[in-house]
Amino acid sequence: MSKLLKLGILLLISLTVLAGCGGSGGSGGEQTGGSNDNGGSEGEVTELTFWTFVGLHIEFFEEGVRSWNETYPDRQIKLNAESFPYDEMHNNLLLALQSGVGAPDIVDIEINRFPNFLQGDIQLEPLNDIIEPVAEDFVQSRFEIYSKDGQFYGAPTHVGASVAFYNTEIFNAAGVSPDDIDTWDDFVEIGKVIKAETDTPMTVAYTSGFWNFYPMISQRGSDIFDSNGDVILDNQDNIEVLQLIHDMVYEHEISVLAPGGNHNNEEFFAFMNGGGAASLIMPSWYASRFVEHMPDQSGNFVMKPMPRWEEGGFRSAGMGGTGTAVTKQSEHIELAKEFLAHAKLTEEANINIWKILGFDPPMHTVWESPELREPNRFTEYFGDGLFDMLLEIKDEINPLNITNNTPLARDLIETNVLHNTLRERSQTPEEALKQAADELRNR
Amino acid sequence: MKPNSPPNLNRSPSSNLKMKRNGTKLKNIFYSQKVAPYVFVLPFLLIFTGFYLYPVVSTFIMSFQQVLPGQTEFIGLRNYERLFNPTFFRALYNTTLYTFWTIVILIPLPLLLAIILNSKVTKYKTFFRACIFIPALTSTIVAGVIFRLLFAESESAFGNSFIMFFGFDPVAWRQNAGTLMFLMVGLAAWRWMGVNMIYFLTGLQNIPKEMYEAAEIDGANTFNKFRHITLPFLKPVTVYVLTITLFAGYKMFEEAYVFWEVNSPGNIGLTLVGYLYKEGFQYNQLGFGSAVGVTLLIIVAILGLIQLRLTGVFGGKGDN
Amino acid sequence: MAKQRREKWSSILLVVFLVIPAVIAVFPLAALTLASLKPSTELMRFGLNIYPQFELWSLNNYAYLFTDGSIYFRWFKNSIIISFFSTILALTFSSMVGYSLAMYRFRGQTIVLFLVLLIMMIPFEILMLPLFRMMIALGAVNTYTGVILPMIVHPLTIFFFRQFALGLPKDLMDAARIDGCTEYGIFFKIMVPLMKPAYGAMGILLALFSWNNFLWPLVVLRTTDMFTLPIGLAGLLSPYGNNYDVLIAGSVLTVLPIIIVFIFAQKYFISSLTAGAVKG
Repeated sequence: MSKLLKLGILLLISLTVLAGCGGSGGSGGEQTGGSNDNGGSEGEVTELTFWTFVGLHIEFFEEGVRSWNETYPDRQIKLNAESFPYDEMHNNLLLALQSGVGAPDIVDIEINRFPNFLQGDIQLEPLNDIIEPVAEDFVQSRFEIYSKDGQFYGAPTHVGASVAFYNTEIFNAAGVSPDDIDTWDDFVEIGKVIKAETDTPMTVAYTSGFWNFYPMISQRGSDIFDSNGDVILDNQDNIEVLQLIHDMVYEHEISVLAPGGNHNNEEFFAFMNGGGAASLIMPSWYASRFVEHMPDQSGNFVMKPMPRWEEGGFRSAGMGGTGTAVTKQSEHIELAKEFLAHAKLTEEANINIWKILGFDPPMHTVWESPELREPNRFTEYFGDGLFDMLLEIKDEINPLNITNNTPLARDLIETNVLHNTLRERSQTPEEALKQAADELRNR
Repeated sequence: MKPNSPPNLNRSPSSNLKMKRNGTKLKNIFYSQKVAPYVFVLPFLLIFTGFYLYPVVSTFIMSFQQVLPGQTEFIGLRNYERLFNPTFFRALYNTTLYTFWTIVILIPLPLLLAIILNSKVTKYKTFFRACIFIPALTSTIVAGVIFRLLFAESESAFGNSFIMFFGFDPVAWRQNAGTLMFLMVGLAAWRWMGVNMIYFLTGLQNIPKEMYEAAEIDGANTFNKFRHITLPFLKPVTVYVLTITLFAGYKMFEEAYVFWEVNSPGNIGLTLVGYLYKEGFQYNQLGFGSAVGVTLLIIVAILGLIQLRLTGVFGGKGDN
Repeated sequence: MAKQRREKWSSILLVVFLVIPAVIAVFPLAALTLASLKPSTELMRFGLNIYPQFELWSLNNYAYLFTDGSIYFRWFKNSIIISFFSTILALTFSSMVGYSLAMYRFRGQTIVLFLVLLIMMIPFEILMLPLFRMMIALGAVNTYTGVILPMIVHPLTIFFFRQFALGLPKDLMDAARIDGCTEYGIFFKIMVPLMKPAYGAMGILLALFSWNNFLWPLVVLRTTDMFTLPIGLAGLLSPYGNNYDVLIAGSVLTVLPIIIVFIFAQKYFISSLTAGAVKG
């Protein structure tokens, strides 16, 4: 490379930077680098904007950038990553996509908001050409939740396998073991023993969070919508599940209403940290919340598969998630996609998902690798063998059917159904689910 | 505060303006009482047109549309028809109740505090004034963090240990409609008490002391002085406080947001703006969200006009 | 003698009475400040309480705020710049409007008053999308200007100035006109000084409003180095792991400087109020 060329590139870079300041603030709205869609080939540093609502994800992507720049020194990337509050990031993205300017190149979108961005003329880039080559190595259903009409729009962050967290200290005090539990009937029976021996509830019921209800119906192969998108929220399976959650509180008296109403507030953390309940059903990503907010229980909790409904039934469900997407407004769509593939769809990236984020990586080919068995802050808290347990249940996860009305469905469950049946007790599970299902159908 | 009827005001200056009519036209413009108000109001009108009128009109248009990227279409009144649902009425009910309570609390109490702090017998005025005003310095977000921690469900949290001291059972404050309303109104009252007090103080301190002295000579007692001097003089300020409390009540969003964001159990914390926000931004129904917004605007406009008519801001007679 | 005794007693009574609201007002902030000195795990264990636990107190949470680069100060600076300019501009323009609404009779006056009230009624949320489009058109996204522009007419302030100016003596205007003052001279030389208390009161409120403003800056500002304090702090709270340590210490540090400024400025604040009273 001649000196002159280098100088030219330097000028170009500084121009890009200058234009970025004067224009719409580096959000990708202004023409910056000219027409070089592939990010050029002469070692120019291309700036990409990335939005997320989880600060930790920035750390994860920075690692991806470092590795990308090492692998492709001639196509350097600079990632301008910004973390916004959850609600506001999604709103800002919606505003930007509606307005046609101001969106980032790459963005994290939470699963419950994802359907919003798959309406109208979809403003996200299909990722099929980067996903299809590696699709076999991944848990398939994790791509499907971010897809529409056969096009994939999001790269998954985790499997979100739901598990049971058992507090062995409480179990030991009652003279029972988590390994005694295989089915939900066992769960209730052991729960009664624990309640009798230690006067501690077996578990909690969320009145404004669907994290018991949804994994439990998904386990049974049921869902809120069927694969055609029709509402099946009020089917018999779902009614039975809600009835069981209700009965655990009021008939078997082994469950209590979650303090604060759901899994994610200071009251609940305090309650669990004080050994308030002997078990929790949550997706495995909840592990990080234990580590951060329930330090007193370190070493007491173990992660096990969920109880099954019947012999040979599934022992887990894939819950929650964040899909990383590339927006159509990006100036460097191809580069952004290739980078995304590198940062999220490679083995190295998936190992980092565990190492940095503590999530179960969606790429199952890395599940055997030794890196996932190295001690980290999660094994310190929950003990060894976490991954072997996750591996055991990897084929026991049903796909979820996500539709345009998924955000509404979740809200109806969290605001009306659970509250009315579990706290107010103004409706039976059947009535509440019927009412919510009808509201969804009338939409 | 002397009554100045409009014709009177116009006549006398224009007559003395005539005497100066020998200046240039440009100079006349500087002296013109016809032009001056428009010049004063001009920047406001510009900003209004750009940043309020245009968005409002465009919101109004959107309320008749289904807005999706690249696929916006007119759907007539369908967004408005969809308003007739229990969630909307719940939001309307919550908002109205909240507004009612804030008005009941945030007018008499600050007035009382202001009168006490304005009294010459009161000691340490500056200190108390500062103390009561301090909550206004916090943002709703910070205040929300505090209130959530103080009124947590656990028995050791402040709210519960306080009522348990008096023999009551601990309460799940955020979970019930009544207690949540208490928290929301409490949060607003805590933050706004000092501000409204300052408004009333500003009004009180503009009452000429001679009026009281004269009244005292006439033998008026404290109550009479309050009834016939203080209250009438405070009327403009009171109208102001009432108006902003009413409007702020119907626009309320953050006070509910800090406790439940937008999805509260049984919608006990849902306000009209919360509903707008939820539909518009969480379900990507900008059209329907706009319809909620326009409806809210109409409701508030009607209430506001009634209130202002009753208190006499519009319609000539009230200005003195 | 009897009157003096009575006054003494009533002044003691009044002080006792005032202690209640003062405690209610200050206590939550004091509790938060105490909480900020403890590790958040304590908060998780016992909730927010006021028992002094000296052995747990430390400034670690604050130290953390300052280790993460100097971004916190950057937010501070942004907040100060934005608050300063939007307050000055809003005071100037709003007082002009409020004053002219109170002191003049002109065609369209009722309409202007109605527009002011209309803005007061509009929930900002419904304006967000069109307003954001407008900012894009103006190239004001991620700039201070973008945050400040829509805030420079503040309807509440206009309305307050109108109500305040209604109480000003109109005879002064006529006298000034006879002395040869222009209409604008009257405003700037005579009325502005008279409205000092209103400027003081509204200045404080406007500064607070913009210091604590959340939604609009959040829409306009796009990069961490442009964030204001409330946005920066809110970013620390997410459903994917709340960082209570930083949030609480950060909140205290947002409020504390304001309280200090207020305590010092309140002398002027109050004296401008009393100045208004003497003239009345």
